Amino acid sequence: MKQYVLRRLALAVPTLVLVSVIVFSLMRFMPGDVVTRMVEGHAYAPTVDALRTELGLDRPAYVQYLDWVSGIVLRGDFGSSYWTRQPILDEFVRRFPVTLELAALTILVSVVIGILVGIVSAVRQDTISDYVGRVFAILALSIPYFGLAVLVVVLPAIYFKWTPVWTYVSFTTSPLENLKIMIVPALVFGVTRAGPIMRIMRSALLEVMRQDYIRTAWSKGLPERAIVLRHALKNAMIPVVTLIGLQTPLYIGGSVIIEAIFRLPGVGLFFFESLTRLDYPVVQSVNLIIAAMVVGLNLAIDLTYAFLDPRIRYR
Amino acid sequence: MARRVALVLALGVFVVSLTAPASAQQPKRGGILRIADREAPNLDPHLSISFLTHSWANMVYSQLVRYAHGPEQKHTADFTVVPDLAEKWEHKSPTVIEFTLRKGVKFHNKPPVNGREVTAEDVKYSMERFRTKSAFRARFDVVQAIDVVDRHTLRVTLKEPFAPFLNHLAASTYLAILPREVEEKLKDFNRAEAMIGSGPFMVKSYQKGVQIAFERNPDYYMKGMPYLDGVVIEITPDAAARLSLLRAGKVDMGHMWGYMVPEEAKSLKQTNPEMVMTPTMTIGSGKLYFRTDQPPFNDVRVRRAVSLAINRKAWNDSINYGEGCVDAGPVPCAMSDWKLDASKMDPAKAKYLVGYDVAEAKRLLAEAGHPKGLTVPMYHWPGYAPPWRTYYDLAADDLSKIGITVEFKPEEYGKYISTTYLGKFEKMAMGPQAPGNEVDDWLFSGFYPEQPHNRSHVADAELNRMLLAQRRELDPKKRLALVHDIQRYLADKAYYVYVPTSPQYITHAPQVKGFKHHDGFSLGHRLIFTWLER
Repeated sequence: MKQYVLRRLALAVPTLVLVSVIVFSLMRFMPGDVVTRMVEGHAYAPTVDALRTELGLDRPAYVQYLDWVSGIVLRGDFGSSYWTRQPILDEFVRRFPVTLELAALTILVSVVIGILVGIVSAVRQDTISDYVGRVFAILALSIPYFGLAVLVVVLPAIYFKWTPVWTYVSFTTSPLENLKIMIVPALVFGVTRAGPIMRIMRSALLEVMRQDYIRTAWSKGLPERAIVLRHALKNAMIPVVTLIGLQTPLYIGGSVIIEAIFRLPGVGLFFFESLTRLDYPVVQSVNLIIAAMVVGLNLAIDLTYAFLDPRIRYR
Repeated sequence: MARRVALVLALGVFVVSLTAPASAQQPKRGGILRIADREAPNLDPHLSISFLTHSWANMVYSQLVRYAHGPEQKHTADFTVVPDLAEKWEHKSPTVIEFTLRKGVKFHNKPPVNGREVTAEDVKYSMERFRTKSAFRARFDVVQAIDVVDRHTLRVTLKEPFAPFLNHLAASTYLAILPREVEEKLKDFNRAEAMIGSGPFMVKSYQKGVQIAFERNPDYYMKGMPYLDGVVIEITPDAAARLSLLRAGKVDMGHMWGYMVPEEAKSLKQTNPEMVMTPTMTIGSGKLYFRTDQPPFNDVRVRRAVSLAINRKAWNDSINYGEGCVDAGPVPCAMSDWKLDASKMDPAKAKYLVGYDVAEAKRLLAEAGHPKGLTVPMYHWPGYAPPWRTYYDLAADDLSKIGITVEFKPEEYGKYISTTYLGKFEKMAMGPQAPGNEVDDWLFSGFYPEQPHNRSHVADAELNRMLLAQRRELDPKKRLALVHDIQRYLADKAYYVYVPTSPQYITHAPQVKGFKHHDGFSLGHRLIFTWLER
């Protein structure tokens, strides 16, 4: 087990190096130039040259890359934003709890709705409840979350002079106020993500319910509740957990738009603003940090399989 | 005609305002004004080049001089320079200006500055810091020496006479006056507790990504001002969310200037009839621009044909509800102090600026050797706010009527802003120009060789002479005459083809009083004279 974890961690190094190279090059391939983007209407030639030198953009690309990577490896320094001139890591650490909370609440909403609807659909296959559940899943899959978010912000303001958007308060300052602000974005995002979970839950549960051991359970005269929840559900959960794991980067990626619409000061918004401003170091470093997190998370998910299915052993 | 109607209406409004009961106009102290807008990327007014930073900084810092605002301003683009920290100034010679500072003006009472007096040393320090650190330092390249004569007197020596100098000093984009000890003790100005100036408001709190709160500076040198107790900017990056906050009454203004395009404003008026909206021409211009150094647009006949093909009145009627301005360049409509209307020029020349004549356009094209028309690209960024997308289509449609086939070349913003926007394109492009407060920004920057905003690659010796002359003329009347001469000279050159300018509806909640729109980035100065009537 220990060896397995160590091996996985060692494998993460080339992955992250590759990510850093890709992100660094992609940013440079993006059309446009950060310096002229910064000075826009005031692009007088001396201004542009001076700024380019100041930001170190006049050096060859490989020097810039090595400078960035060596800063991270040797000093844990992820660099500073071109625009805010603030250290990126500080900003990331300050903003991460917002995104983490949004992701956690979103996962909670999507898992609760997805699993409940999935179970009902599977157990009551081909009844009205199943049809309703499946229609819900298709709707949730086909409505883009950012479209739904804009509607939720705009429509109540037009018809009821009310909007869910308000000043962010951190959880530690006032848990209740914080939840009031977070619940609407989490619902919007969570509902749209519940669709795939529901569909996987339904098909996995249907599959398991046809297994021999479930038939045995029925023949022993166990009540339906015990069969579904205690015997079938645990085995049907494996693909669902995999799916949640696979969706996790989507929760972070989706937070980019959700945070901008609902005024949440998280990492997503930071990333979004930096991307539109061509703030190379921020986009590179945030991407790298998130990639490292995804690698770690995938490892954690692999380890939870052992809990769900004791037959899985790591060598 | 439209201008005349607007003038009569404006006069009517003015007469009504004179006869309105005095009590309705009586400013009231107190209250917090709430605005939804985007976040400033950086708080150091000298290091940042973002208008958002300069708008926030203008709440906190004073300048040597400023523009007329509120009751002082004659119109929305009034760039008359009035005293700020300098109570007066005098040209000792065409290149030497002596500024006399107000006595007893204090920095905010916060450590490490603790409310000490602002002196000529602070101005010198700020000017030198700007000239070494700001990416805009080229703006003050003309300065040769800055000398402190005494505690309240500063002498600035220029390399040559330079008429736009005072205007640049008055723009909040450039020279905010900072106290030296902040840099010495707090290391930098890029944080909320380091925002210590002598301006109308002080920073009360700043939560990144959430809101910045300003409170009234009780020691502000203008007695009894500002009227507001404070201002809160709710940081809202998304435009739809800003509008929703305004609709729901959670903010008083959905934008720092209160901007809203006519279509948006008309929809808001339906759900929120109580909103106060003032249609206003703001500084700005949109144009078709060309590689005038290469065929086919090096031929003035082709450029004139393009200009004559644009049906400006039809555009304005259909897109701007007839409320825009069709005589849109080279000096923008709103800059009435400097603009020479096309109606006051020789009609034979002015027709190439504002006229519409398909037959003559076709004849000119044929004369220029394109009897069967030609195909040209149009580089542009499709993401500009309405009505730009429609404008690109309208231009292509109008040009097709004289035989010019337009090939659309949409570009991603990053690419557009660093290439096409700065004149790096082939043949033809289209888009707006960023606003500038000085007429020089529209003339010298747009037409002088090697200037990045000389997007049409104009190189015209006679014009160059005139452009330099207006920069060196310090007598306002003589300079105005030169600026008018330039506009007359440019009328039939069609270096750029201008399209109608759209109005903005300056929009705010009814409780906001005394807010007068002013072009430029001086948020603090706009709000000195604003009050709330809840």
